[in-house]
Amino acid sequence: MGAGFVEPAPWRSWRVRASPTSQKTRVPAERTPWDPDVAVRAGRRLNRASGTIAASVLLDSAIEHYRGSFHNKAMFAPLVSSALSLLAGLHGSGDRRPRPHPARDAAYASAALIGIIGTAFHIYNVGKRPGGFSFQNLFYSAPIGAPAALILSGMLGFLAERVRDNAPGTKPTIAGLAAGRVVAAGVAVGLLGTVGEAGLLHFRGAYHDPFMFLPVTVPPFAAALMGNAAMGSARKPRGFTRWWLRLTAVLGFAGSGFHIMGVARNMGGWRNWRQNVLNGPPIPAPPAFTGLALAALAALSLIEDQDG
Amino acid sequence: MTELYPGYDVLAKRWTQSWNEQTRAVIDARLAAPREPIFFTPDEWRCLSAVCDRIMPQAENRPPVPLAAYVDLKLREGFLDGYRYAAMPPQDEAWRRGLAALDDEAMRLHAARFHALSTARQDHLLSRMQRGELNGTAWGAMPSALFFAHRVIPDITHAYYAHPTAWNEIGFGGPASPRGYVRMALDRRDPWEAAEAKPGEEERARRENDRVG
Repeated sequence: MGAGFVEPAPWRSWRVRASPTSQKTRVPAERTPWDPDVAVRAGRRLNRASGTIAASVLLDSAIEHYRGSFHNKAMFAPLVSSALSLLAGLHGSGDRRPRPHPARDAAYASAALIGIIGTAFHIYNVGKRPGGFSFQNLFYSAPIGAPAALILSGMLGFLAERVRDNAPGTKPTIAGLAAGRVVAAGVAVGLLGTVGEAGLLHFRGAYHDPFMFLPVTVPPFAAALMGNAAMGSARKPRGFTRWWLRLTAVLGFAGSGFHIMGVARNMGGWRNWRQNVLNGPPIPAPPAFTGLALAALAALSLIEDQDG
Repeated sequence: MTELYPGYDVLAKRWTQSWNEQTRAVIDARLAAPREPIFFTPDEWRCLSAVCDRIMPQAENRPPVPLAAYVDLKLREGFLDGYRYAAMPPQDEAWRRGLAALDDEAMRLHAARFHALSTARQDHLLSRMQRGELNGTAWGAMPSALFFAHRVIPDITHAYYAHPTAWNEIGFGGPASPRGYVRMALDRRDPWEAAEAKPGEEERARRENDRVG
């Protein structure tokens, strides 16, 4: 842990005295100069990561809830919320100001909240069916893991705003902890949750294609690497972790490609798209891994930029 | 009877994603079944047609489902049930003997063939068959009640519900091939399924059924 952690006050007072154009020259020589843009850059990357997951949730919940005939009016909620989270991601991605935005914060908080409510709703939906929490119901009724992706979008967006919410030139912290480590830990947990969902549904699909093992092998290892990064040394070179995260990010999009092929393999193929897009593998779901990997890369940069 | 699925025509699916070449071929073959006896003799055919009219009376305002022709087709092509009551002969033999026995009972009771009787007399004979009360020598060892319950009723009703006209009547989607259904929960409807007219919603159902494809 760096000195800034235990005594943030001098940094703050230094910021007040500094003029924007001459910040670097005034940094005390014994301290590593903090690029004032680091927090903003990391924040924008996290906004983007959050937006990627929001786009996945928007399309996925639109398709799946359309399939569910929007039987309950609350089924529109994730569409609205993920759309707002996506807009916040686009806005945040282009916003270079070193402070959080109240509208984005509201969008992210509501995404996380609606994600939590949705998860509870889906758990209730599974539990009330005959057989309760049997594999049959976990496979075929409301997927418990899907609303959690909305929580992740909200969480990453919320962290993006907290990373920005640091005085320029100071080490970004969240609730007193190094921001990079907080994001890394959050991403590791998010990856494992998403792996659980993919694992359950690919198990239902009997892993009939060997590529179906990829989302239950590549991301868990990425989660382990991120857990290590969250806890471990900030100075250790993590080139392998970066490459593994890039692989995970590519895997998210490749997954959509595989799912597009999966739809084609259903009876009637793409000509029968009104049936098979609903009945086949969910095309918009896999890029949740991409969003998480992007967030993990942002977290790594934050950690590595940190002063040990 | 009021229409339950107003405006619904399952054949409108013909050129949509719901059907493919195989589906069209199957339905075409079914609709093209010859309306004349090939397996049955003319006498058997007249008797069978009269039985069909009483078991599955049809509306006057539309072309009837060719019930006798479908029974003929089943016997001619040898579509079997997969099981048979030990007291019953094979299906083709059962039908020949049952129809001959029915004509025989009609001749003995009313001095006319079955098809020439009034509908009341036909119904009376069929009811007695159902109760197993017909046991002239023409039946042989075949119990008339078993013939009624396991040949007459299933073969004629299955013939009826094999035809698109019956599907329209009950809102059935026809062959789910290549397109199946994705909304499996009770009382959920895919956009390519027939819309049922709940009281007061006939117009809405008609609009929905215009789009079924």
